[in-house]
Amino acid sequence: MEYAVETFSLTKIFPDWWGREKVYAVDDLNLQVQYNEVFGLLGPNGSGKTTTLKLLLNLLYPTNGKALVLGGDSTDPQISARIGFMPEESYLYRYLNARETLDFYGRIFGLPAKVRKMRTEALLDMVGLKAVANRPVGTFSKGMARRIGLAQALINDPDLLILDEPTTGLDPIGTRQIKDLILELAKRGKTVLLCSHLLADVEDVCDRIAILYGGKIQSEGKVKELLQQTHKTQITTGPISDTAIEKIKQIVRNEQDDCVITSPMDKLETFFIKTVASAREQAQPTSGVVSDGTYISDFLTAEPIEKARRAEILDKLVSPPVSPEPSSEPPTTEHPTPVETHEPKPDEKLLEKLTRKPEPPKPKPVVKPQPVESEVTQKQQDKDSILDQLTDRATPQNQQTDKTNKFSTGGDTDA
Amino acid sequence: MRSIWAVATNTIRQALRMKVALIFTILLLVLLPVMALSMPGDGTIKGRLQAFVSYGLSLTSLLLCLLTIVVSIYTLTNDIKQKQIFTVLTKPVRRFQLLLGKLLGVILLDVVLLALFSAIIYTITIYTPKLLNAGEEELISLNNEFFTARASLTPPKIDVTQEVLETYNKLKETNQLLPGSSKEDDIYVLTLRKELEKRAVPVGRELVWQFQDVKPLDPNQSLFIRFKYDVSVSPPDLNIYGRWVVGDDRQIKYGTEMKTPIYTFDRKDFIRTFHEIEVPADAVAEDNYLAVGFFNPPLNDTVVIFPTDGGLEMLYKADSFTANFLRAALLILLRLIFLACLGILAASFLSFPVAVLFCLMIFLTGTISSFVLESFDIMSKGLTSFYSYTIRPVVQLLPQFDKFNPTKFLVPARLLSWLFLAKVAGLMVCVKATVLLLLALLIFTYREMAKVII
Repeated sequence: MEYAVETFSLTKIFPDWWGREKVYAVDDLNLQVQYNEVFGLLGPNGSGKTTTLKLLLNLLYPTNGKALVLGGDSTDPQISARIGFMPEESYLYRYLNARETLDFYGRIFGLPAKVRKMRTEALLDMVGLKAVANRPVGTFSKGMARRIGLAQALINDPDLLILDEPTTGLDPIGTRQIKDLILELAKRGKTVLLCSHLLADVEDVCDRIAILYGGKIQSEGKVKELLQQTHKTQITTGPISDTAIEKIKQIVRNEQDDCVITSPMDKLETFFIKTVASAREQAQPTSGVVSDGTYISDFLTAEPIEKARRAEILDKLVSPPVSPEPSSEPPTTEHPTPVETHEPKPDEKLLEKLTRKPEPPKPKPVVKPQPVESEVTQKQQDKDSILDQLTDRATPQNQQTDKTNKFSTGGDTDA
Repeated sequence: MRSIWAVATNTIRQALRMKVALIFTILLLVLLPVMALSMPGDGTIKGRLQAFVSYGLSLTSLLLCLLTIVVSIYTLTNDIKQKQIFTVLTKPVRRFQLLLGKLLGVILLDVVLLALFSAIIYTITIYTPKLLNAGEEELISLNNEFFTARASLTPPKIDVTQEVLETYNKLKETNQLLPGSSKEDDIYVLTLRKELEKRAVPVGRELVWQFQDVKPLDPNQSLFIRFKYDVSVSPPDLNIYGRWVVGDDRQIKYGTEMKTPIYTFDRKDFIRTFHEIEVPADAVAEDNYLAVGFFNPPLNDTVVIFPTDGGLEMLYKADSFTANFLRAALLILLRLIFLACLGILAASFLSFPVAVLFCLMIFLTGTISSFVLESFDIMSKGLTSFYSYTIRPVVQLLPQFDKFNPTKFLVPARLLSWLFLAKVAGLMVCVKATVLLLLALLIFTYREMAKVII
């Protein structure tokens, strides 16, 4: 069976100044990443994760062994045209603005001007930087630069996406967005190889993981298999009456077991995103200051802007990345659907709507409902259409059936 | 190819937005007109123009050289240091494509800036006589001596080794050699004496120079014989009388039919300064042959000597000033291309400050290369074979900017021929720069990008 990424006793030794072998950064590593899977490389700092990725990409040369990426050498233009790489930090040309940056990378891939422009705009939209697209990226905050870093990795609609610490430097919303993006890409048949030490992120998105220590794989396997507690069962329902609870307890007791019944806890992430979403809803009629500091602080750390303009820019900055979140996030990732047990807040209804609406997972993202009733579906559709554009699929009205060329486009356009 | 072009345009953008190019440009835009106004030269319009062209081109060349060194090094070392190279090299760009792209970007930037500044210098030069209301006579002399490209022919050097050897042997046989002096020293002295003999004209004698390859642009124009007299005894009024005969002397020798005219000039000129005799170009024979004869009349009472440096040369208009200026600019461009390759090479294995120092050192050595080469030759006289196989080839690899200095041609209005330009291009770009570039490609291909190099 062919793998998307395969290494054969890959070894990297960093010698010291005298040429003596000093550090085994990667030690006899045999890694197999299958096609169409999200693979996570985990490990503490200095365990060889990034070195492994750099070896795969030929930024470092192995001391021993070899690595196959998409069945070949990653320096081969035919192969690197199908790889998207986001390094551990965004290394951007500070003098280019966001749009020029993406355009430059598009030109390296030899994309025709039309495709380049379309993808650039779509990506800027997706990562929420359209409003600042004409600012030099040297003035961007770390999080904004990360977003550009992500966008440049996607410009060629890669079959294999290699992400080095994809979520560092991003706020929870950006993190959530990247995770959703990874899931979405996986759904579309892409392979994702990521390395991280932020376990929560990996747990949410990865199919398989490998834990590295000292340049060696210590443990490897499917996330579900590694983590599932087979001796426990969890039942999730909507709000039910006390009598029903008593009945359930009775049934369990009959099974010779005991059970604890509580309301499930929201994940902090989900709660955070909800809070931000509702804050934004309220902030618009009053003033932008409310939204300041909470969820977009990340964008703003480095920029001195006058107060008045600031509020305006804030809203612009916030709107694109945040909007899709409340709608799509919880259902796609949370297996037990969160049940609201708090006192209803003024916008509780809206939130409920937001979280519930797309609950029946769409069979295929291509087939979209008409944007009729709510903002939610509208946003969801926006997001899909951006991904569609990236993968060169036309809007559903025109060429809904034309799915076949979605993987080939990246390679075709590169001459 | 597309990716090379993408890298190249990005490099240009980097240079422009980095503001280094901007600073150099502004500096030149301010300095050039100021220089045009403030440099009187020797007071004449010709002197003024010569000073302006000389300093203007030299300054442009110097600043562009520095710019090329800085930009070519910065664009690569910065990419490596700031790690943008991670995102570029993991895309479908081969490493050599990245280097070629960078090089192309730097060269294109040079071409544009050089074209701009050359155009400014050219325009100012052309319009200066008009602005200064040059008189009729001055204009003619300008057109003859500055706004032209004159080919220069010097009489071929006569080989005297054989004669010297014969003389030496004769002296040895007759025991007339100075006791205690080595053979080499004797030969050296004899050679000097013999060579001087060939350039000296005793009273009542004549000296004939024969030129084989005289190709004036237009037979209706003039040839110029440029000469300088030296004398063994200075005449009281420091003037030398002379009769000059110019034409195809074979017609007289063999008594054939006179096809081309022969011109005779009787002159009286100051010693030790340059003079020019204007001769109609129709004196040149069909096979591009022309002889120039000088007769030392008894009036002088002294031996007349034509010194080695510019004692006598034949000048004729071979091309226009514009074409010559264009080639001078191209000569500068060749130098810039060499430096761009050098910068890329340095950047492929050194960090920015070290690479800049390295290149500046080579650049400065290149501008005094004749001096350096001569010093090496003299210093290593004792260890000839070792020297000629080790140090000498390395030293020869150095660029020789001073040898190919364009102002050397423009100021005395000498022709800078395409052939010369092609030779320089062949040596400096096709050989030396290519070697540098190949070396850079080799180093860059085997270098691990993710490793920090100090």
